[in-house]
Amino acid sequence: MKVRFWGVRGSIPVPGRATNRYGGNTSCVEVRPRNAAPIIIDAGTGLRRLGKSLMEEAFGDGRGRASILISHTHWDHVQGLPFFSPLYRAGNQVDIFARQRDLHLEAVFSAQNRSPYFPVPLSAMEAEMRFHELIEGTRFEIGHATVSCTRLNHPWIAMAYRIDVDGAAVVYCADTAPFTDVLFGKEFLHKAPSLDEPLPPAVAAELARMRAGVVGLARNADLLIYDTQFTKEEYRRFPHWGHSHPDDAIAIARDAGAKRLCLFHHAPMRSDDDNDRILAQYREVVRAQEDRFELVSAYEGLEITLGDE
Amino acid sequence: MKIRFWGVRGSIPAPGPDTNRYGGNTSCVSVTTDAGGLVIIDMGTGLMHLGNHLMAGAFGKGEGRAAILLSHTHWDHIQGLGFFAPVFVAGNAFTVYGPGGSPQVLEEILEGQMDPNFSPLQTLKNFSATFDVQAVRCGAPFEAAGLRITAREHAHGSTTALAFRIEEGDKAFVYASDVGQPEPGAPPSPDAIAFYRGADVLLHDTTYKPADQAKRRNRGFSTFEDAAAAAVAARVKRLVTFHYDQDYSDDDVDALVASCRATLDASGGADVELVPAREGDELAI
Repeated sequence: MKVRFWGVRGSIPVPGRATNRYGGNTSCVEVRPRNAAPIIIDAGTGLRRLGKSLMEEAFGDGRGRASILISHTHWDHVQGLPFFSPLYRAGNQVDIFARQRDLHLEAVFSAQNRSPYFPVPLSAMEAEMRFHELIEGTRFEIGHATVSCTRLNHPWIAMAYRIDVDGAAVVYCADTAPFTDVLFGKEFLHKAPSLDEPLPPAVAAELARMRAGVVGLARNADLLIYDTQFTKEEYRRFPHWGHSHPDDAIAIARDAGAKRLCLFHHAPMRSDDDNDRILAQYREVVRAQEDRFELVSAYEGLEITLGDE
Repeated sequence: MKIRFWGVRGSIPAPGPDTNRYGGNTSCVSVTTDAGGLVIIDMGTGLMHLGNHLMAGAFGKGEGRAAILLSHTHWDHIQGLGFFAPVFVAGNAFTVYGPGGSPQVLEEILEGQMDPNFSPLQTLKNFSATFDVQAVRCGAPFEAAGLRITAREHAHGSTTALAFRIEEGDKAFVYASDVGQPEPGAPPSPDAIAFYRGADVLLHDTTYKPADQAKRRNRGFSTFEDAAAAAVAARVKRLVTFHYDQDYSDDDVDALVASCRATLDASGGADVELVPAREGDELAI
């Protein structure tokens, strides 16, 4: 399979000279099993360019099939969907998967496409869209690929996905906070909680279960894509925002025995030079710790081939 | 007054090396008065960068005041709000003037963006600054930041958007983005021309080159020809091109601007100064 990055940014798209190399589009990753329809993970603004590229294939003739796995429905993971050209061509079929919410998934997506926010309602998009709700632990097939998922630690809950196909596995973990300080649910946290007080045992146990789920999902993965929006210092100031940092991602990759770790979901104000520095710094850390995985940092256009060619 | 462009793009932010010169952020313009008042027009992603800039001054200390004029509530005109740093500083105060007919309706629309399914902020009530929402009454001038402001409703596809005429003394700036034409090439309405009349600066929607407008299903936007026709008919001094299509590269926008200049020259508008909106540029009246 081929894994290609179309949007690597968190929170909000950031056009401009400072993001030319890594890219300013929000989260979107294309997984292309050999001789099969694309499995897209997340529908940030990167999805717009992916859609244009897909229109050069069967989607342009209304014969395209795609699946989209949504980690969660925060804006930076869904805002590209109304601009996904294949949806405006009759005959195309798009299956959208996401974790069950209080509102039905189709209602959530309809809300993005309704007046007075957007001129074209979901019901007027010509492609056939089917919505599939998941809960953590669900395992299902897309073509000859197997998809499994587990829960992440993020406000209003996000889902991590693993795709096994062509003799390899890719795992996508965004968005998530570390599993050490804050257990995210539906409450709004106005300010950072103290990081120095011990957690109530029940909370610590729940976080430990969640972390074990993530490590299990990423077990021996060929590629682990991980939310590293923050530096370690930034995380200490914003532990209530639901994002992680490279030290935490490295610990997960090590425990899981992942073969390659990809830093992802870069903070909006992170310049290309900042991202270069962070990658260089943590390549040193990985080398010094004698970790066995390769460290990369996601940029728009990065393509990684895994498993059988 | 000084006008500054923070986002000049339509529909969706367009990052990439080929949009560096004009910019890829969605609509946001600031107007600063000689007395130091601040009016912000539209809250696209450019608003985040305006906010970061403002934090260096009074807004960083919780002493900032601004009026926000909202043309309409399509995503590309509101999606910067959750990333506008000054709303998270207690003491700052904002008044939004926008569509919706009633403050309750407009506030509910803005709340929709903060819905917890979509935004970790969950509600506007989590802002620390004062955030007052007012519905605009078209044709009834009001005062904000020491400026006299009048709104006018125009067609925008199957819906409407507001244009604003902003006056300080005898100087006038008109913001008219997301202007839909019922038929391609139709002349601007007499009411619109009266509203734009004699402006020192008319910022007008120039989303498309005419050939591209014909290919789109949505009639919610103008071509540079529509904008030039409005500028000539209203005898404005300067025309600003704005709200470029998300697929246009810098070179495409260069071509759009050159064609707009040629259209002005050929249609009695040789004396209209043409100013292409570019992120970061400032224009003084």
